[in-house]
Parts: sequence; C-alpha cells; structure tokens
Amino acid sequence: MANQSHLTRRELIQIGAVAAGVAASGVERGLAADSAPRVFSTQEFALLDELTELIIPADDHSPGARAAGVAGYLDGRLAESIEEAERTEWREGLKRIDALALEMNGVPFMQATPEQRVGVLSRIARNEQNPQTPDELFFVRLKFSTANAYYSSKIGIHQEMEYKGNVLLSEFVGYELK
Amino acid sequence: MNFFSPDHPNANDVDLKRVYDAVVVGSGAAGGMAAHVLTSHGMKVLLLEAGRKLDINKELKSMEWPYDHPRRGDIPADTHSLTPAEYRFRDRPYAKGMPFRHVYSYIESWGKGDYSKNIVVDEKDHPYTGTPYAWARARCLGGKTNIWGRLGLRLSDYDFKAKSHDGYGEDWPISYADIAPYYDKVDLYLGISGHKENLDYLPDSIFQRSIRLSKSEMILRESLARMGRVLTPYRAGVTTDGLKHNRYRSRCFGRGACERHTGGCDIHAAFDSPTGLILPALETGNLTIRTNATAYEITVDPASGKARGVSFVDTETKKTYEARGKAIVLAASTLESARLMLLSKSTTYPNGIGNSSGHVGHNLCDHTMGPHIIGLVKDLVGKPRTLDDGRPGGFYVPRFRNLKDRNANFIRAYGFEGFGGNTMEPGYAVSMPGFGRNYKRAVRDHAGAFISLSGFGEVLARYENHIEIDPEVKDKWGIPVIRFHYTYGDNEKKMSVDMVNAAREMFDEAGFEVVDARNEIFTPGWSIHELGTARMGTDPKTSVLNQFQQSHDVKNLLVVDGSSHVSASCHNPTWTIMALAWRSCDHLADQFRKGEI
Repeated sequence: MANQSHLTRRELIQIGAVAAGVAASGVERGLAADSAPRVFSTQEFALLDELTELIIPADDHSPGARAAGVAGYLDGRLAESIEEAERTEWREGLKRIDALALEMNGVPFMQATPEQRVGVLSRIARNEQNPQTPDELFFVRLKFSTANAYYSSKIGIHQEMEYKGNVLLSEFVGYELK
Repeated sequence: MNFFSPDHPNANDVDLKRVYDAVVVGSGAAGGMAAHVLTSHGMKVLLLEAGRKLDINKELKSMEWPYDHPRRGDIPADTHSLTPAEYRFRDRPYAKGMPFRHVYSYIESWGKGDYSKNIVVDEKDHPYTGTPYAWARARCLGGKTNIWGRLGLRLSDYDFKAKSHDGYGEDWPISYADIAPYYDKVDLYLGISGHKENLDYLPDSIFQRSIRLSKSEMILRESLARMGRVLTPYRAGVTTDGLKHNRYRSRCFGRGACERHTGGCDIHAAFDSPTGLILPALETGNLTIRTNATAYEITVDPASGKARGVSFVDTETKKTYEARGKAIVLAASTLESARLMLLSKSTTYPNGIGNSSGHVGHNLCDHTMGPHIIGLVKDLVGKPRTLDDGRPGGFYVPRFRNLKDRNANFIRAYGFEGFGGNTMEPGYAVSMPGFGRNYKRAVRDHAGAFISLSGFGEVLARYENHIEIDPEVKDKWGIPVIRFHYTYGDNEKKMSVDMVNAAREMFDEAGFEVVDARNEIFTPGWSIHELGTARMGTDPKTSVLNQFQQSHDVKNLLVVDGSSHVSASCHNPTWTIMALAWRSCDHLADQFRKGEI
C-alpha cells in the first residue's frame, strides 16, 4: 500500500507543473497582432477595445482591459456562439455608440476627445441599476462582459487583484479556533 | 489493476448467470457505502451504475487557472445550462425542442461548469414532467459525490423525534443513539473536518483538523456568541489530516478549487464514492461493477414474493439483461429509487414493489434554498489581500429556531451556509456601479470585504408532495419518466421570510452593512437534498421501510438512500445517508449470515 508521502510528492509535482505553466505562458490570450477579429470589423473591434479600456483602464496599480485582451476574448466567445442574434446585438450596440457620439459631439466615437468619449459612456451608464433604453441595456451587457473577462484574466487575477490562492497549503491560513 | 481504464462497460467481469449475494443499484454515497459494508462482510456484490466510468481527475482539473481554459471554465457554446427563469416559465420536459447539442441543469451555469459537464446528465436524454423542479443528476461512477458540496452534518433527536417535539409528521423509527456509532464509523473511515461545539442540536463528529475562519467570519462568530448563536467552520466531508487506510485519497492542501469549480476534488481529499468506498471495496475481491447499466425493473419471484433481481438496459447497446441477487439494495437516489419501485409492477405487487402502503413516491421533501443576505464589512475595505478561499468551505450557522422556544409563524428550522473574504474572481465586480479608474479602484478596495449567508430550510414532508410515473413521456432508453407534484407551502414561505430577518439582525449586531437581502425561494430541488419518497417507519400502512431500510413487504429489498428519510431536517443529508446505509447493511449481512434472507 502506498503511503501518504507518495501522495504528497505526487501533489508537489503537480503544483510545480502548474507554477511553470504560469511562468511560461507569456501574454494574455486575445487578439494577436497578426490575426484579425472573427466577428467584428477592424473598426468595430477598435471601438470595442477602447470601450473595455474605458471601463477598466490601466492605472498605476495594474494594466487595464486592453492589455488583458478583453476585446479579443469577447470576439472569440461571440464567434463560437450558435446564436447569430447575439453577434447582431453586439454589432448594433457598437453602432449605437457611434450614433450617440455623433449626436453628442458631431464626430464618431473614436474621433472624439478622451473627455467626449467618457461623456458618451457616462450617458449610457447613468441608469445602470435600472436600464431601460437599448443604449443603457448595451452598457450593462458591455460592462458585465468586460468585468468577467478582465477579472478572470491573468492580469486581473494576479496583478490587479493580487490573488494569493490556488496553491498548496500545508497549513490552512486564517483564524484558528481554540 | 487498471480501474480507470478507457471508458467502456466492464461487462466481461459480470457473470449474469450467477446469483450474487446482493445487487446494489447506484454507486453514489449510498450505493458506494452498501458496496463497502457488504463486501467487508464477505458478501459477493454486483454494483450497477447507470452512467460511465470516468477518469474524474481528467474531468475536474482542480488547479487550472481560468485564463488557461478557452472559455474561462464555461460550458461550450453549443450547449446550454437551464436558467432560473427557464425552470419557472418553460414547459416540461425543460430541454424539449431546444436547439443546443446538450442541455444541462442549472448547476452547469456556475462554478466553471465545463469541468463537470461529463458528470451531470444531459436533460435531453433524461426528461421529466409535472410541477417545476430543478433536478440535478449525475450519472457516472460515484454519482453526485463527484461534485457534492461536502457539508457533512449529523442530525439530532430534534430531527429524529421532531413529531414528539412539535406534533407534525412522523418520528423516525430510530433515535440519535441508534445511529451515533455509525456516524462515528463514517467519520473515521472517510474523514471529516470541523470544530467541536458541543451542541445537542448539531452533534459533533470525530473531527480531523478544522479549516480556519477569515477575519469577517471571526467578527461574526464573536457577535453571534453574544446573541447565543453559533458560527462554526464548515464541517467538510474532507480529509484534512489524511487517511492511512486509503491509498486513493490525499489529504486536503487548501487549494480552494472545491469552491471555484463545481465541487469536485482531483486529489480526492473531499469524499467521493469511487475513491472513498468503491476502490477499497474492489480490493476485497468481493465486488463486481457493471457501468452503463440503467435499471428499469426489480424482478420478483412470484412463488416467494421476494425480489429476484434487477432488469437493466445497457445505455450504449440498448440490450437488456437481468442481474440476480439474494438481496436487492436500491441506492439510485431519492427520486430514481422511487421511480424504479413504481416501475416494478407485477401481479404480486400491482402498485409497484414494496408499495402496499401507497407511500412510495410520496412525502417528498428537501431544503429550501434561495433566501440570502450579503453584508459589507467596512473595516476591511482597502485592506491588503488575505488568502481566504484556500479551504473546502466557509462556515455554517446552525439552527436556532424552535429549540427551546416555539416560533409563532412556523415549525422546524433552518441553518445558514456562508463565506466571507477574498476569492479568486471578484464576483461582485459586475454589480458595483460606474466605470473607469474609480470603478476599478472600488472593486480592488472591496476585495475580501463582503460576507454572505444562504439559508437552507426544512421542507415539511407532506403526503401530497409526490412523484408518479408519467403515462406518456419516456427517456432515451424508453423508460417512463417521473412526473412531479411538488410545491412549497405556507411553513416554508414564512420560514424564508424569517431567515432574512434573522440574518439582518445578525449582520446588524456584527456591524455589517446589508448590501443585498432576498427571501425569494428558488425552484424546488435547487438544494439537491431531495428526500423521503420511501420513508422508514414502524407501521407498514404508513411507511415503506423498517428501521433497517428494509421493505416491509419484501424482506430482501432494501432502499438505503435518501428516500428512506422520514423528515428532511435542515441539515445536509449525505453524512446521514451513509451512516444509515452502513447500519442497514451491517444488519443485512447479519441476517444473511443467519440465513434469514
């Protein structure tokens, strides 16, 4: 019968492999420089990328959604969806952002100033707790997807949130009861 | 021995010409325990499992980071997990007509469902009808124990003698003293983690090393103590110190994946039936396993009236067989065992085998789930990260209603499962308002500052809450399916309101700001604690089984799963299922030795 230390050793090898995997796997999965988006046009993708970065920007603590490859991840998930309506809704949502930017500032979103871009996003975010219009509903969807993708990314988990778990503990941490 | 060999039914090992000492149907907590106990007494056992053998380690991948999975743990795009709303509004069977390749129950939508999609059933193959019911099923060796929530609680005489306490329903035919030695055996054989509290309404187990509490959980424990209430570390059916007698299971290393994925533990520190019970039972040489074997009838010897065997269909070839046994032990789950008994109609047993009382399928009960509260611990905002999810669970707040006092609005009780502290992904991020730098900082600063309580309440066993066999709808193998008649009543609704009020009161006392509180009950079935469809009792007119889970009508037929429970208690049932199965199988082996079966 194998003993406990066998299991321990096996487990240590396992965690060793995991740690090496983290170190080796380079940049975030996302849109690589040489691959085109699968669902969005280049222009749509640039808009989506900018919107995700506005929602979760780089700051002095950690990189933001752009570096975390959020737009590329969302594009990939949408490409796999079996529901064409989902892709259509995203593309229409982006179109509405541009239409709103034109209405508010006279230029499409990507030609607006940084302040103007924040202004457009603020407009559609203002009813976040109880969204009613298509624009407001799109914001909720965009933010939900951005947050989920960012906080499950390598940057989100390790750099931004400084998560300490998913490791082997020989002793549990926390408050021990007497 | 190459047990986890490529997936195929090990039909070659099975000799269907022979009469086994016992045929066990189902390989989860109850069936695994029956196999363990009966083979340990030298009985030759054939174990039938409807699902496949799976290499569970390859399924669970407990340490995989979200970003190393192409969909961050989500199920594939051409599959679908039923949503809470769909359980209420879609016609039954739920998956009928859906365009997806596979449809799963709600459990595949949370906790990285991609790791358990091969463990749970495809709703398209396994339909059911009737009132709304969220039925989570796992068909593979080990069943739901491969992904269970691991909270291992004992019942007390407040449960076993609940009728004596408040006049409702029926008492169990056993008391705590009868089952306590078997709880001890389960503790020692499988391992359980916890902290002694000396509560007569939540008896302690023989605990291995306890998990620890986070900062917010300690604050709540101390403030609850001032209210005469208890917060105890999660009593996890997990071996935290290891088990010298079991070479298939590692001790817990606090990796925390059990909270991030859909249960499951690829080093088997968390109990699962295959490594905890079935592999050791195989080593006795007394156990034969037949997977891909879906039982559809218990056959009867008309001369003696005894059960003769189990007819099953091979899930892949669809060929049918009969396995014969001197004793037949049902452990297919509360709902499937009852279905099987109701399907087993014969001239000897026209109402279904073991059903002279008419109680098979009735008295279905479970635990309400849904009411919950989330609190913000302001002192923890902006504090450095701590590691709080490196453990099999958070904490448990045991019942406090209807012990010495009598609540004016409802009988019985509820407990809370809870968690406070940092997690891998900040689930609250999607509900924090705003965007930009301030939003990002707010998410960061609030890490670890939330604490939650989720109520689990006893649903009263009522005769009218029942299942029957649907006269028309059949599953993929042509077996008639279950039709539910199951709704919650006034007692459950009033109790749910009290849960949230009591939780608010506790958070107020602890100084936590309540940020969310809801008393809506989820669709019945959500807790996956269904019980009661073949209850034990002393009177054969009002119960199906005796105190040893033996059919009143058919001496060599046992039902050792949750269907035997007389009332639901509010304590998670798995530990009780295993203790009862152990006790009953000890008794069966004794009768077998004496030639009484």
